[in-house]
Amino acid sequence: MKRNFMKTKSQTTVACLLLLTALAAPSSAWAHIQAGEAAGFLSGVLHPISGWDHVLAMISVGLWGSQLGAPAVWLLPVSFPMVMALGAMLGLLGIPLPGVEIGIALSAMVLGAMVLAEKRPALWIAAGVVGFFAIFHGHAHGTELPAGQSGLLYSAGFVMATGCLHGVGIAIGLIHRWATGRVILRVAGAAVAVAGIFFLFAAFK
Amino acid sequence: MKLAILIFVLFATFATSAFAHEVRPAYLELRQTGPETYDALWKVPGLGQDLRLGLYVELPVGCTNVTEPRASAINNAFTERWPVECAGGLGGGRIHIAGLSATMTDVLVRLERLDGATQVTRLTPSNPSFVVEAMPSRWRMAATYLRLGTDHILRGVDHLLFVLGLLLIVGNRWTLFKTITAFTAAHSITLAAATLGYASAPLPPLNAAIALSILFLGPEIVRVRRDETSLTIRYPWLVAFAFGLLHGFGFASGLKATGLPQTDIAWALLLFNVGVEIGQLFFVFLILAIARSFRTLEIRWPRWALALPGYTVGTLGAYWTIERTAILLGFIR
Amino acid sequence: MTHMKYQPTRARCGGIAAAIVLLCLDCPRAEAHLVTTGLGPVYDGIAHLALSPADLAVVVVLVLLAAMRGPRQSRWLLALLPTAWIVGGLGGLTFQITASLDWATGLSLLLAGALVAADLNLPLPVVATLAAIIGGFNGFSTGAALARTPHAALELLGILVALIVIVTLIAGVVVPLKAFWMRIAVRVLGSWVAATGLLMIGWSLRA
Repeated sequence: MKRNFMKTKSQTTVACLLLLTALAAPSSAWAHIQAGEAAGFLSGVLHPISGWDHVLAMISVGLWGSQLGAPAVWLLPVSFPMVMALGAMLGLLGIPLPGVEIGIALSAMVLGAMVLAEKRPALWIAAGVVGFFAIFHGHAHGTELPAGQSGLLYSAGFVMATGCLHGVGIAIGLIHRWATGRVILRVAGAAVAVAGIFFLFAAFK
Repeated sequence: MKLAILIFVLFATFATSAFAHEVRPAYLELRQTGPETYDALWKVPGLGQDLRLGLYVELPVGCTNVTEPRASAINNAFTERWPVECAGGLGGGRIHIAGLSATMTDVLVRLERLDGATQVTRLTPSNPSFVVEAMPSRWRMAATYLRLGTDHILRGVDHLLFVLGLLLIVGNRWTLFKTITAFTAAHSITLAAATLGYASAPLPPLNAAIALSILFLGPEIVRVRRDETSLTIRYPWLVAFAFGLLHGFGFASGLKATGLPQTDIAWALLLFNVGVEIGQLFFVFLILAIARSFRTLEIRWPRWALALPGYTVGTLGAYWTIERTAILLGFIR
Repeated sequence: MTHMKYQPTRARCGGIAAAIVLLCLDCPRAEAHLVTTGLGPVYDGIAHLALSPADLAVVVVLVLLAAMRGPRQSRWLLALLPTAWIVGGLGGLTFQITASLDWATGLSLLLAGALVAADLNLPLPVVATLAAIIGGFNGFSTGAALARTPHAALELLGILVALIVIVTLIAGVVVPLKAFWMRIAVRVLGSWVAATGLLMIGWSLRA
């Protein structure tokens, strides 16, 4: 049963990546019909994976989820996109969020530290922490639509790329089953936390 | 085989719409005769008596007609020929078909240069002009004929209906594979033979015979539903092969109507055929996937709905047979 | 046999009425993508649906919602959604309102996506009503977009065929998914759609 879980989990990740490539690949074929739309999707996909701060934070969400186990491991990827979209919505409505860059840097730091410490707080606390930072990530990335592109496809690409980053984190987190794997995960958490400190400095500069 | 209402709807709609405007593309050929001179051939489908589609060629700015076009009307198509002189050649110039965006027709443009290299382009209502390539590419032509083949089968409701009929008769996967392969082999043979000029079939009797092949499948489908058997039900691939030969002539007429290149016939033929197979396989897999999903959804069709596909195939086949026979005998034009 | 019987009662009529009322509230310009395939209007209709990401997302998320509850709800969706869509489409052709309905599409995505993510055990009437309202609404905007084309009715027919095929195929894939993680994957997909819908509302409010 357990093995079955693992198998389908990694299958899901693979499927996810395949889906993204499949969706991104024919964008050139669509070009003559709806250039703006295809480009919108592509820039939506590329935007969240072009900044290391976002990438690392999202992967560590997945890593932490794996450490926490069910139900957190699936509750996070289900609820995160919606909270993130809420943050982006704030941005779209022009409601300013102070210290967005600092918030994102902090998120990498805090989430990395959680993975490093293998912290197991109550579910609602974990969800609260992740949800809090999700708002910053959404605010920072969800609103940067290049002119002339489709808002819907940009949003979809952005949400899907982020979801797939979680998937990558969860897939990596599968090594949590072995003792060595647990150590590697904690080291990875430490690396993310250190990177978070670096991002924090960059944000203040 | 719990395919039912959906397919009926599908075909009823396709049948009416596709046959309502049987689209024949117009054809423009520009053959280079000297560094700056070309022979133009312009074929526009006619609309009965003395009418023709309102399509007009607009050549690039530097081009002038050396003489007035010589017009003739053959086989319900208007043909014009005239020599053209283009300062500096056609390369890089824009060719536009005026009036195309108001129609539902396509225009196939074929450009043959002095060195025999050709550029084939398909213009559509949404895309009525193109720029002549300085260096024409073989791949561009390949893509055009591939697309042409796929379009031809997807538009050819009679061919699709015949394939659907076969699908309704075959019992298992192995038979299905044999049947589809037989159909493919057969129509490839006659398509090639007809295109390369080894065999020919006059169009009106051919159309009637194709309709008859569909009509033939109707009763067989009903027999399958009644658990009866027949030669067709035992050896569907035999029927698929025999009638496939007919359908191949049909594909060939479709390919001929659009005009073949003079130099790369084999290449164009191959790609057109591959296009047809792609369209056909897509259709087969789509129908199989739908049938599978219907089973998953545990849809219990009423008895009449289950009988519908067979009767649809038979009825449409009969209708076309009568219609095309009437055309053949000259009762209607 | 009883499965496929329509019950054209409050659910659908209410949906259409709600769609029409909602429509009359709003008025900037519609952004329509009219596609020409060169294969005739029926195929153009199919392409119209296949190349409208918002419409596709709406259809997909509704199928997920019904298919997660099993074959019975899927069968109802297969009957209801295309019907509602086409009825809405005919309404759109008739009234030809050039209002932007992006916010409404976003709202449909948000609502249906959130329900998929939550994986609630919704009863059939709720799902059916939702499908009728959302389908009718999006059909209306499709119809309004098609009103400018010469063969709008045939294109609607193509859309009907495409809808039936899409609903059938996706439901056929999702209904047999019993594994826990597969259901989670479907829920994640739902949450993506909901998030996208929320963002779409945001964009249309800002525009």
